[in-house]
Amino acid sequence: MSLRLLAGLAVTLSAVVVYSGYTIVQMRSLRQLQDDIIDRNRKDSLLLLRIQNNLNGLANAMRDMLDASEPYPLTAWRSQFLRIRVDLEDAVDRERKFAPASRTADQARYLASSMAQYWDALDRIFELAGRDEAEARTRIKISLQARQDALTTAVARLLVQNNESEEQAAAEIQRIYARVERNVYVFLAAILLVVAFTSAYLLQYNRRVFDEVTALSDRRSELAQQLISMQESTFASISRELHDEFGQILTGVGAMLQRLHRKADPADTRLRADLREVHEIVQATLEKVRTLSQALHPVMLDEVGLESAMDHYLPGFEKRTGIAIQYEKSGESVPVDRELAIHLYRVMQEALNNVARHSKSRRADVRLSFEPRSLTLEVEDEGIGFKEGSGKGMGLISMRERAEMMKGKVEFLRGRSGGTLVRLTVPLRMEEAHA
Amino acid sequence: MTRRTFLASGASALAAAPRAPGFRLADVTARAGIEFRHNSGAFGLKYLPETMGPGCAFIDYDGDGWLDILISNGMDWPGHKKQRTTPRLYRNNRDGTFTDVTREAGLAIEIYGMGVAVADYDNDGWPDILFTGVGQNRLFKNTGKGHFIDVTEKAGLGGRSAFSTSAFWFDYDRDGLLDLFVCNYVRWSPEHDVFCSVDGKHKSYCTPEAYRGSTCWLFRNRGNGTFEDVTAKSGVFDASSKSLGVALIDYDRDGWPDIVVANDTQPNKLYRNARNGTFEEVAVRAGLAFSEDGKARAGMGIDVADFQNSGVQGIAITNFDNEMMALYQGGAAGSYADIAIKSGVGQLSRTSLGFGCVFFDADLDGRLDLVAANGHIDATVRNIRSNVGYAQPPHMFLNEGGGMFRDVAREVGAEFSTPKVARGVACGDFDRDGDVDVLVTTNQGPAYLYRNDVSNGNRAIRFKLTGLKSNRDAIGSVVRVFTPDGAQLRMVKTGSSYLSQSELAVTFGLGRRESADRVVIEWPSGRTDEFKGLRAGSYECVEGQAPKS
Repeated sequence: MSLRLLAGLAVTLSAVVVYSGYTIVQMRSLRQLQDDIIDRNRKDSLLLLRIQNNLNGLANAMRDMLDASEPYPLTAWRSQFLRIRVDLEDAVDRERKFAPASRTADQARYLASSMAQYWDALDRIFELAGRDEAEARTRIKISLQARQDALTTAVARLLVQNNESEEQAAAEIQRIYARVERNVYVFLAAILLVVAFTSAYLLQYNRRVFDEVTALSDRRSELAQQLISMQESTFASISRELHDEFGQILTGVGAMLQRLHRKADPADTRLRADLREVHEIVQATLEKVRTLSQALHPVMLDEVGLESAMDHYLPGFEKRTGIAIQYEKSGESVPVDRELAIHLYRVMQEALNNVARHSKSRRADVRLSFEPRSLTLEVEDEGIGFKEGSGKGMGLISMRERAEMMKGKVEFLRGRSGGTLVRLTVPLRMEEAHA
Repeated sequence: MTRRTFLASGASALAAAPRAPGFRLADVTARAGIEFRHNSGAFGLKYLPETMGPGCAFIDYDGDGWLDILISNGMDWPGHKKQRTTPRLYRNNRDGTFTDVTREAGLAIEIYGMGVAVADYDNDGWPDILFTGVGQNRLFKNTGKGHFIDVTEKAGLGGRSAFSTSAFWFDYDRDGLLDLFVCNYVRWSPEHDVFCSVDGKHKSYCTPEAYRGSTCWLFRNRGNGTFEDVTAKSGVFDASSKSLGVALIDYDRDGWPDIVVANDTQPNKLYRNARNGTFEEVAVRAGLAFSEDGKARAGMGIDVADFQNSGVQGIAITNFDNEMMALYQGGAAGSYADIAIKSGVGQLSRTSLGFGCVFFDADLDGRLDLVAANGHIDATVRNIRSNVGYAQPPHMFLNEGGGMFRDVAREVGAEFSTPKVARGVACGDFDRDGDVDVLVTTNQGPAYLYRNDVSNGNRAIRFKLTGLKSNRDAIGSVVRVFTPDGAQLRMVKTGSSYLSQSELAVTFGLGRRESADRVVIEWPSGRTDEFKGLRAGSYECVEGQAPKS
C-alpha cells in the first residue's frame, strides 16, 4: 500500500517538475521575445518620438524666424538651432542602436543623408543671412521647411513600422500565452486524475480497514456475550443443583432431626439440646444454600417475572447494605421475556453494587419505565459521581455487553444531584429489535 | 509598569521625537503697517497674467542700513478700470514699523507689474529698481534723495513689449558693471488672448502650452547709463523658452557667473559663461533640463545655494502640483542629480504648486534651510484634483543634515502655515537682529511679513559687501566662512525665488559658536580677501579693506 502511495506521489511530483520546467522555458522565450522586440521597439519608438519632438522644435524655430516678430537678425536663431541639433544628433545616434531588424539599409541611409543635408542647408542659410537676410528667408521657405517636412515624414514612417513590428510581437506573445494556457489545463486535468485515483485507492483501503476493525469488534462482542450466556446457564445449573439436591437433602436431614428430637427421652436433656443445636445448624445451612442459589440465579425471575424478582431483591439489598432504595415503576407493565429479564436484573444488580461499593451514597433511586415499545431501567444515586477513566471495569463492560445482547443501549450519566445515573434502554420485543 | 520603566519609555520617546525647529516665524504684517493688496485686474475674462503675480524685494533704498520693502503690483486692464493700483515701497522706521513712501519715492506708477530686480547698476551707491511685467518693463534710477526717476527709455530698454517675469542683475563680463537678464514667459497680449476651458463651457486660465514661448533677454551695461541688447550675440536667445525663474550660479566654479533658468513646460536652461561674452546652453548635459523621467516640468521659482556645505552649489526649483519640487545636488563632473525624493522634499511637495523659493539659514545652525511659497493658479482645482487646494500652506524645509529635509511650517507658526495663494518670497533681516526674516506675496491678496525669532541661542555672522573694482553691490562675490564644523558658502546675488529678490547681505549661521575661524571673500574682480577670527555679528566689507562691524 505505502509503495503504491509513494509511487503516486512520485508521479505527481514528476509532473509538477516537468510542467514547471516547461513553464520556465516558455517564460524565458517570452522574455527573450520582449527583450528582442518589444523593449527594443519601445526604446526605439521613444527615441523616434524625441527626434520628432526636435523636428517640431526646428519647425517652430523656422516659423518664428519667418514671422519676424523678434527684433533680432536671423543669425540670433543659430544658438537655438545648435541646441536642437545637439539633442537631435544624440537622439539619432542612440536610435541607430535600437533600430529594429526590419529597418532596411536604405531607410537608415535616407534618414542619415536627409539629416546631413538639412544641417548643411541650415549652415548655408545662416551664412547667407549674414549677407542677405531676405534671400535667407526665401531659402527657408522654399527649401529648409520642405527638408524638415521630409524628415518628419521619414520618422513618422519608422514609427509606423515599429508599431507594426510591435503588433506582430504582440500576436506572437498571444500565441505563447494561448499555448501555455492550454498546457495549464492539460496539466491540471492530469493532476486531477492522479489525485482522484489516489483518493479512490485510499478510500477503498480505509473501508477495508474499517470492515476488519468492525469484524474484530463483533467477534469480541460475540465472545463476551457467549461468556455471559455460559456464565448465566452455569449459574442457573448450579443454582438448580443447590436448590433441588442440597435443599432436599438438608430438608430431609432437618425432618429426621426433628423426628429424633421428638423420640428422645425427655429426661435426657443433653441429647435433646444437641439435637436442637444440630437441627439449627442444618436450618442455617439450608438458608445459606437457598440464598446462594438465589444469588446465582434468581429462580423468581423464571417463576414470577422481573418485577416480582426486583420487588424481592431490593428490600434484601437495603437490608444488606443499609442504602435506602426509592423504587418507582411507571407505564403499563408487560411481561418481559425471560432472557431479557435476566440481563435487566443483572444490570440492576451491577448498578446497585457499584452504588454500594463506589458512590458513598446513602440512598438510590431505581426506576422502571415501560414504554409502548421499550423499557427503561434507571439507577441513580446521590454519591460522588462517575469518575473519568472509570468506565473500563469488568462490571461496566458486562453491562454494555448485556445491553448489546438486548439490542439496547446503556448510558452512564451525571445524575441530577451530581451522582451517577445508569440508564438502560431496551426494546421490549426481541423480534422487533432483530427486525 | 513600574515607575522606572515608565520614565525610561518616556525618555526614549523624547529621544525619538524630532527636535524643535528652534525658531518661529511670527506674522508682524499688521504691526509693521504693511497694508498691501495685490490687484491682478481680474474682471472675469481670466487673462493669463492675472494668476501669476506679484513679486517682492528687500531693498535699502535710503541707505540707512535698514531694509525697506518693495512689492510689485498689477493694475486694472484697459477698458475695465475701476481703481488705480501701483507698486508699493515701504520705508523701514527702524522700530518694527514701516511707512508707505511710494508716492514720495516716485514709484506710484501704474504698470501691470510682475517682478522686481534691485541693484546699483550705475555704481553710485544707491540701489535702482527694475519692474518687469506685461507690456513695457520699467527701470527706475535711485537719485539718492529718497526718490526714483524712470530711465527706461534713456537706458535703452524702451520700445519692448513682452510678458516679463523674473529678472536679475549680474556682471557676466566681469567689467565691474551690472548687466541685466530678463525672463520672458509666453507671447501674450490682451488682444490675442486664447480661450481655454476645463469644463468646455467656462473660460479658465490657460496653461503655457496654449502660447508660443518667448526668448529671455540679456542687456549688457555699457557703463554710461545705457544698455546693449546682447540677447542674440551672447547666445541666450531661444524663442521656445517660457521662463519664470532665474538664478545666478557658478556652475563650473570658474569664477564667471553662469545662469540657470526655470522654464514652464519647457526644458530648464543652464547657460554656461564661455568667458568671451557668449553662453553655452548645457542643461541637458548637466541633467537639469528635464525631470528624472524625461519630462519638461512646470518650473516656476528657483534658487541656488550650497545647501550641503560641500562647496558645490545645488539648485531648488518649484514645479506644478503632482510634479514635486526639484532639488538638484551638484556633482563634481558638472552634472546634477535630483535628490528631491531621497531628501524628503519631493514627497512633501507632491501636492503643492510652488512659486517662490529661497535657501536661508532659518535656525542659524550652519545648514541652509529652504522656504517655498505655494498656491494654485486655478481657484476650482479642488473640483478636478481632490488632494490639491487653491490656497496652499507654504513649506519651511528644515535642513537636518545628511541631505535630509523636514517640513516644519506648522511648527514655526500657525499664521505662517495658513494656506495662501502665494507667489513671491524674499528674505532679509529687516529688524537687524541677526536672523533672516521672510516676506511673502499672494495673488489678489495681501503681502505677509514674518519676523524670524530664533530661540535656540544660535548666532549669526553677516556680511554686507561693497565692491570697488568689482560692481559696487559685489554681486557674484563668493563668501566662505570656516568654523571647526566645516565651511559654508554664500554667493551675493540678485534674482532667485520667483519675481522677487532677497537682501544682498549674506548670513551664516554659526550655531553656538561665537566666531568664525576664517572668512574668505572672492570678489568678481578676481581679488580675494581673507579675515581671521571674526566674532558673530554684522560686518560691512569693502573690497580690499578690513571688515567693519
